[in-house]
Amino acid sequence: MIKDRLYQLDWFVPALVMVLGAIGVTMIFSSTGGIWEDGAQQHLIRLMLGFVLMIGIALTDIRIWMGMAYPVYLGALALLIGVEFFGVSVNGSQRWLDLGVTRVQPSEIMKLAVVMALARFYHDLPDWRVSKPAGIIGAIIVIAMPVGLVMRQPDLGTSILIIAPGLLLLFLSGVRWRIINTGLLAAAVALPLFFTFGLKAYQKERVLTFLDPERDPTGASYHIIQSKIALGSGGVNGKGFMKGTQAQLDYVPENSTDFIFTVIGEEFGLMGGLGLVLLYAILLTLCLYRAVQCKQVFSRLLIMGVSATFALYIIINLAMVMGVAPVVGVPLPLVSYGGTVMLAVMAGFGLILSAHLYRDQELPRGTGLLL
Amino acid sequence: MSRNDSNDQVFVRRTVLLGMAGGTVFCGLAARMYYLQVVQAEDYRTLSENNRFNFRTVVPPRGRILDRHGVQLAGNRQDFRVVLIPERIDDLDATLARISRHIPISKDTAARIAKDISRKRKFTPVLIADHLSWETFSAINLALPDLPGVLPLSGETRDYPKDGTFSHIVGYVGTPSQSDISKDSDPLLRQPTFQIGKTGVEQSADARLRGKAGRLKVEVNALGRVVREWPEAKDEARSGETVYLTLDADLQAFTAEQFGEDSGGAALMDVQTGELRTLLSMPLYDANKFVSGITQADLDKLYTDPKKPEYNKVLSGTYPPASTFKMIVAMAGLEAGVINPAEQIKCTGHMELGNRRFHCWKRRGHGPMDMHNSIKQSCDIYFYEVAQRIGMEKIRSMGERMGLATVHPLGIAGQSRGILPDDAWKRKRLGDGWRTGDTLNASIGQGFVLATPLQLCVMTARMANGQKAIKPHLVIDDALPEFENMDINIGHLNLIRDAMYAVCEVPGGTGYRPDGMGIPKAKMAGKTGTGQVRGISSAERASGVIKNRDLPWKYRDHSLFVGYAPYQAPRFAASCIVEHGESGAGRAATIVRAMLGHALKSDGFDQAAAENLLVDL
Repeated sequence: MIKDRLYQLDWFVPALVMVLGAIGVTMIFSSTGGIWEDGAQQHLIRLMLGFVLMIGIALTDIRIWMGMAYPVYLGALALLIGVEFFGVSVNGSQRWLDLGVTRVQPSEIMKLAVVMALARFYHDLPDWRVSKPAGIIGAIIVIAMPVGLVMRQPDLGTSILIIAPGLLLLFLSGVRWRIINTGLLAAAVALPLFFTFGLKAYQKERVLTFLDPERDPTGASYHIIQSKIALGSGGVNGKGFMKGTQAQLDYVPENSTDFIFTVIGEEFGLMGGLGLVLLYAILLTLCLYRAVQCKQVFSRLLIMGVSATFALYIIINLAMVMGVAPVVGVPLPLVSYGGTVMLAVMAGFGLILSAHLYRDQELPRGTGLLL
Repeated sequence: MSRNDSNDQVFVRRTVLLGMAGGTVFCGLAARMYYLQVVQAEDYRTLSENNRFNFRTVVPPRGRILDRHGVQLAGNRQDFRVVLIPERIDDLDATLARISRHIPISKDTAARIAKDISRKRKFTPVLIADHLSWETFSAINLALPDLPGVLPLSGETRDYPKDGTFSHIVGYVGTPSQSDISKDSDPLLRQPTFQIGKTGVEQSADARLRGKAGRLKVEVNALGRVVREWPEAKDEARSGETVYLTLDADLQAFTAEQFGEDSGGAALMDVQTGELRTLLSMPLYDANKFVSGITQADLDKLYTDPKKPEYNKVLSGTYPPASTFKMIVAMAGLEAGVINPAEQIKCTGHMELGNRRFHCWKRRGHGPMDMHNSIKQSCDIYFYEVAQRIGMEKIRSMGERMGLATVHPLGIAGQSRGILPDDAWKRKRLGDGWRTGDTLNASIGQGFVLATPLQLCVMTARMANGQKAIKPHLVIDDALPEFENMDINIGHLNLIRDAMYAVCEVPGGTGYRPDGMGIPKAKMAGKTGTGQVRGISSAERASGVIKNRDLPWKYRDHSLFVGYAPYQAPRFAASCIVEHGESGAGRAATIVRAMLGHALKSDGFDQAAAENLLVDL
């Protein structure tokens, strides 16, 4: 049975995921000055654990995951509230929860949980109610509750990564264009207000720095300038593996985590950078195709939600590194050093694989909260 | 069913739409990548190089200061110090405790180290202790395995001869002050352990001694830590030049020995070139203490010593020239034509001026005195008379021509001008007009007249030379200074010189010694002086002037002597003042005689040479 399932598994996706993870191990090795123990080794171990987790989730019946959607969501909400009271502050924002054995970032789990909960919500929602107030408000509540908690931490990047895929799922579930347009208009009005009153000083500083990088070349915009120097000096072919001066001499801060792409761009140039982007694009296109293949609302929204989150990670991170978006602290998935993100992404791909593997499974609609 | 289908279509349509939107965003990112890495690549490459490379200042070794024969007066010596690298230290207290087994570390030092660590980058060395002995340094080296993060270093520090014979002239180096740094843009001054000349030749020749900073191209990381050096891009540092002084270390040390415990100053110079062979201030002090940061206790000791060791007496100390000034009065008198050298003036031991009585040092008087004898026996009354005839102005002007009341710049800070007083000076300084009595006092080098030992030496050199207004110089340069003609009547001068010869070499002269300079047949000329430092009241004169021996040290007379040799063909002129050394015929004359003898001997002047000269006598 499991043997059959393993055989039926869409192996392209895990293969691409592992290739990307391996690129991450290599680049972390370079960015830590060639010291295996300073991150690369840990990243490889997490990659292996993540792989096991991904395959495990993939082989589990999609119905179980559908049943888990709301419990996971509520659990993640509880963890976020936990962060509020018992969180550990790292770099001025309270994002970590110390579980004794390990520290986790509940906000990373939340990204998946919101996607699962929304997919489940639309799965149970009769199609005709999608554009009705009950449907819209319900979906917005599912999105708004965790966002409210995350914004308190404060974490602008995660907030965007929860809101945007959520709204994309609204869009995909068939909400009428008229309502979407109205919403966009309202957002256009609300955004400036949010910038003025909703952001912390340092977050505003980041946005302003992004708009004018010369404002403060050693302070807030140092990240962006150094990262552009790293990329630009890499040229077409790059300086060679472990030969990037910006990376090796620590000019780019956080270059094994959020700014890992600068190491790729500097040491492997345009070719390396484009190669990586191409790998991501293939993986995402594959996921898009799998979503269209699915007939079940839960499955295809789940695949789209996870893919959209993944794509947004990539887009925001690259835009940030290349100096076209503010520095918001979003890692490059699978490549950047970081445990929770890696596991969350792996779990996400596990769900995609499971949705695809059990695509012919008829999922009952409107069964309520638990299965 | 149809609604289901339509929703299905909506999903597919919108998914494709999203895919396209995503694809567009990815293409946009790729375009941005192309822009950065191809279009702007060159600019960013330059920025990356600028980031990466830095230039470090390479400190050149400071030039040495040598005497005329190459004896080292200031050099550099290995200095042993111990530093720690904060980032390699696990437990500072434990490390310091282990180090303190070898080097005592006070609470203050420990606090200073902790402060340094907190202020600097974690890889910047922090000084634990410097100026360590070789024994301590080797002990620390042996203990290194137990002292991770502790680094023994050897560097260079300034070194002066321990005896301190050149401390006043060579001076010493020290850490640049804030004002030094703001006045000088040399990057060397901004180096942490760099020292510049603070006093003496170290200060005056600092530009030559300092050398030029080198530059070393280094690759640095974002924190400024040097990762690699690039020797091919090195800009060599230029070592400081060696500065040769005209001084003679052997003669200087010999002279200091003659002084013994006494304080004062002495100078000896070449009467043809103006090169100073000796420039000594006594007592001495050890300039090395200032280099390593003198302790408050040492400083207090130095400044409370009544003999003022730190005071540069030979250049800055001003003393009444006393009877050594009489040659000036005599020359002025001859030039003015108011006195015939053969004219005899009777000395009764005192003379009246208005209601004041002026005394001769010889209470009973010298009897009739001509010019020759008045110098030989240093009769005061004779010069009172001459001075009265010519007036102060002519004396003053002659004094200036002979190099008094003039700063002879040697580049050393604090050289005194001395005083040749006149009416204007007295009015300005004391608010009182000039009186004839002042002229009489000045005529015997007392009263307001003040001169430095160097000025007296220059005066003597000019009299010995006879033609050129010799100026002293200290640093051997390529070009000798040009000397102006003095325009002194040589006939007049010879009368004076003959009298100075008699002072030293003819029985009855105040400075006569049967064995002269200790070179048989070599002759010298000179003049004694006894500088009174206290007023003698008429009551004391009536009851008998108290003998110097019975006075406290600080009230005793200064002992002065100026002289030159050989008399027949002058080579060297010398002056000496021994503070409170009593009569000039005693201490100062003995010292000058020994100095001249020693200088001549070390210059190869011996009995045979003296005999050659005597043919002409």
